[in-house]
Order: sequence, then C-alpha cells, then structure tokens
Amino acid sequence: MTAPSLVIAVPSKGRLKEKAAALFEAAGYTLRVKGHERGYRGQLDGLPDVAVEYTSAAEIVHQLRAGRVHLGITGEDLVREALSDVDSTVEFVAPLDFGHADVIVAVPECWLDVSRMADLEDVAEQFARNHGRGLRVATKYMNLTRRFFAKKGVTGYRIVESVGATEATPATGTSELIVDITSTGTTLKANHLKVLEDGLILKSEAHLIAAKRAGWHPRAAELRDIIARALAG
Amino acid sequence: MTAESAKAFEALEGQARELVALFGRAGYEFVAPAILQPAGVFLDQIGEQVRGRSYVFTDLAGEELCLRPDLTVPVSRLYLERHPQAGTEARYCYNGPAFRFQPLGPSATHPREFRQAGVECFGAADKAAADTEVLLLAVEAVRSAGLRDYRLRFGDIALFYALVDALDVPERWRLKLRHYFWRPPSFHALLDKLAKAERTEPNDVVAKLGETIAGKSQEEAEDIVSAYLDANGIPIVGNRTLREIAARLLDQAADLYADALPKEVATIIEYYLAVEAAPRAAVDKIGLIARGAGLDIDGALATVARRFDLLEEAGVDLSGAILSTEFGRKLEYYSGLVFQIEAPGMDETEPVAGGGRYDNLLTALGAPRPVPAVGSAIHTERLLAAVGGTPS
Repeated sequence: MTAPSLVIAVPSKGRLKEKAAALFEAAGYTLRVKGHERGYRGQLDGLPDVAVEYTSAAEIVHQLRAGRVHLGITGEDLVREALSDVDSTVEFVAPLDFGHADVIVAVPECWLDVSRMADLEDVAEQFARNHGRGLRVATKYMNLTRRFFAKKGVTGYRIVESVGATEATPATGTSELIVDITSTGTTLKANHLKVLEDGLILKSEAHLIAAKRAGWHPRAAELRDIIARALAG
Repeated sequence: MTAESAKAFEALEGQARELVALFGRAGYEFVAPAILQPAGVFLDQIGEQVRGRSYVFTDLAGEELCLRPDLTVPVSRLYLERHPQAGTEARYCYNGPAFRFQPLGPSATHPREFRQAGVECFGAADKAAADTEVLLLAVEAVRSAGLRDYRLRFGDIALFYALVDALDVPERWRLKLRHYFWRPPSFHALLDKLAKAERTEPNDVVAKLGETIAGKSQEEAEDIVSAYLDANGIPIVGNRTLREIAARLLDQAADLYADALPKEVATIIEYYLAVEAAPRAAVDKIGLIARGAGLDIDGALATVARRFDLLEEAGVDLSGAILSTEFGRKLEYYSGLVFQIEAPGMDETEPVAGGGRYDNLLTALGAPRPVPAVGSAIHTERLLAAVGGTPS
C-alpha cells in the first residue's frame, strides 16, 4: 500500500463523530472504519489516497498544531483554548454547522446587581473585603477565560479547574461563577445561573481545520479543496 | 545567566553568602521556606495574573501547587507557622531560587529561574524606623557587593490612600478608587466615568429596584431584595450573601442619583499620579497639589519626609533619587513605602533590588491580628551582572 496523500483526523466518539460521518455520507464520500468496528483508522469511499484517523476531539487539536495530520474536524472552542498561536498554526477552512456551543460567563441568578462583565471587578472588590479572597471562576477553559477577562479589565479573580458538572460549582460553594459551554441554556437555568449580557466569549461550532505545518504537496492541497467543497455542501 | 553553569553558580553563591552574612550581622535569622508552595495562597491574594507568570501545576493527589514566584509570601507563611498568634517581632533573611514564566522567553535579564536574597521584618511597631532599617540594609548590601553607582526610586501607597481619604466623596467611590489604583488601565477609565457622571445603563432589575431601594437602610434593602427574589422564584445560590447583593444594589441605586465627581477632584488625582521628581521636590509638589485643593494630607507627607531625613542622616545620598507616585502599582499587597535600587544602564523594569511595606498581607494569609511588615529582595543575578561578576 502506498503512503496516503492526505491525513484527516475525525472525532472518535459521540455526537461529533456521528455528525461528521453523516456529513461525509451526504457529500458522497462515505467514511469507513478499517478492520473491526472499533478500529482507529478509516478511509473515504472515492478518495483512496486519503487516510482517516479517529482521535479524541481534544487530541485532534494537538495533531493539527504539530502538523501530524493535514486536516481535522473539531470544535473551535477546543482549538482556541489549547492553542495560544492559533493564527500561525492552523487555518479554519469551513464551519460545519454542527457541534454548536457558546462559551459564556454565567453568575448566580440571585446576583441582581450584576449583569455585565464590568460589574465583576466591583463585586470582586466587595467580595475580597468581606471574604478575604478574590472570586473563583470554575472552568475547563482556562486560557479563553484569562484572555477574555483581561480584555474586559477584570482581574480580581482566580480560576479553579473544573472538568465536569461545572454549572453545579457555585451552588456547592467551590466557585462563585463559571465559564462553560451552553447550547440551550436549560442546564444553566436548572442551576439558577444567568449569562452576563456581554459574557459571550465564543460562538463555537465544529470546523474543518487545516494544519499549516503539515506537508502541503500539490495532491494534498487538491484533496483539501475537494474535501472542503464537499463538506461545505 | 541563571545558575545553570557551575561557574556562574559559584559566583552567585559566593555573593549570596556575603549578603546573607551581612543580614545575619544586622540581626536577621536565616530561613529556608519551601520552594513548592500551595498555589491557592498566591492566586487568592495576588489574583489570576500571577498564574500567567508562575509555574502552577496539579500533583498526583490533586493539590494545586506552584514553584514560588517570590519569597515574601513563603517567608510570611513561615512566620505564621512559627508564630500563629502573630504577636511576635521577628526578622528573617533568605537566599534561594524563585521562578517566573517569561512570556517572551527566558533571557539574561528576565530569567525564568533566578535567585533572590532578602530580608523581611515582621511586627516592628515603629514603622518609620523599620522602613529605614530595611532600606539601609538593602543599600548596604548592594554596596558591599561592589555596586558603586545606583539610583533609588521611591513610591508610597499610603500617600495615595491618604489623598483618597481626604477627598470629599462618598465612601463607595473611595473604596473603588483604592481598588482600581492597582489596575492602572481601568483606573483612568473609572475617573473619567465618575467625572462625567456617565452612568452605565442600569440593568432592568437595578432600574426597577433602584427607585424603591434608594436611600433605604441596609436592612430595609435586604427585605426588598429578599421579597423580589421570592416573588421571582430565585434562590440564593453560592457564597455571596443577600447582605452583599443588597449592599451593592444600594450603591448602584445611590449612583443613579449621585452628582458627578467634581472635575477638580479628578484633576487633582491625575496631577498627583503624575508627580515624579527628586524626593524633596516631589514632597513639596504633592503638598502644593493637596493644599491647593484644600486637602489635608500633611500627616502622610510628614511621614514620607521624615523617612528621607532618616536616610540622609544615615549617610544615604538622595541627590540622584526619585519619588514617583505611580511607582509600586503592580503588587497589590504593598501598603506603604515601596522602593527599588536601579543600576546604571539597566532598565527601570530590571532593578537589582526592590521592596516595601505590606501591612495587610499577613491577615490575608490568616494572621489573627494585623502584623506590620516590611522587606526587600535582591535580584542576585542582576546584581552580579551590574558589578561585572558574570560574563553577560
């Protein structure tokens, strides 16, 4: 077997995997897993010199940064969180209209005095005076949070890392507010949280992404255009 | 330039031994606090910016730790461990590594691993005497290492606080001015906003509650807010209390009806923050600005002037020194004197030594009573480079 001309990484599980597969199917390039059903390699019907790698959505970001794959399908939120040098390492080729999620700043609904990011610095001052420490922000998006808060001039806080059930942390007392993804807002509502008016950090969706550091020989570039056209439908 | 080669390390350690010996003779006990520190202490006190400058990580037990970014907080924690009642006077000195992430990459003048030698003085009741003692020791230390030429830069946080206290403004604005002092980019915007009486459009709830709540007592406000929350089925969630929410709503309601910060007041603050001159001239200038505005900050100014007297009596040459009101706005734990020693040819951001008074830090770290504290640290690599002790 000859070496593939282009490698594309697609999510290995969950909704992102299903949606990506459906998209390729609709475009006429059916995704097939090689070997047994749980395999981590695959191919696209009709494009024999394309190799498909099934990887976790987060790992795809690192593969793209390193240029170990040419293309990848993953969420913009994961890319912007993990890469500090987005512009020099990857290119967003096409939004794919699935995996929609907004990264937002949310505070307890009972904070009637708070509706904007600017309120947070004042609240931080008051909170430090009464509790002897800054506000705690629970999130798995440490970098997005830091950049956004800095841009908004909010400094009196610290991040506590949270990998699951972030929206419950204000109620349990391990945080005062959160940065998390939301699609419908029902989980926030159930946890008595509200999104700040200017608290939208990123409107994220799945993208077809190209790695700038991959080897872009003519055939790879050609395949990239074919796939981009097919997925952008 | 870090202690990466054996030769540089020898030179650094040789210099540090001398420094520590000098501190010892001055009555400072040598201590060696832990290099690994709980990250929470730093993040809670200095805020999230410190994470961007520190090596923070989670160990296998899930504890969040950091490589100490400075030695003042670790030495303060050590003091509290030894003296939980915080009633004892103590003087410590140290020499050891500290670590800071350098976003532009490590360099000779901004290494990611560097060694600090310094002193911390806790619990000395005569603050002016302790300030002078620590300052003199820092000057003597760099001199003894061979630094002939240097410039002293002074600031004083207490002076700014005194100015704000003397202003005729509502307490809630005073608190804001003090808080935003440490955030220079936002500070100017705040002044502007107050002076123009620019109200950020109140959110619906504030607008609705504003009319009923304005001018009410704290208790009445709490009742109104509580009733509103009940009526809308909103529970109190989290660590922030009803009392705090109501208090801030009261402030916001008051702002809705408040007059603007008088233009002159904003101007006085701007003038004050622009003062940078030789110590005596700067004190005079600040005095003129304050008296011109009818503000009495004579007490705080006298403290500053007396400090310069003491230094000169002790033989410190202040002819090249600078007093800058802007200086020291980066580390929020400072509360009074701040100073640094700059070597010729080296940038203002690369002092060979620095320090100041931090009277609020120990209570923030859990001390049961306030502990007056002042200290200084010498950036030993820079000092060695400044006296030509290392190849650059």
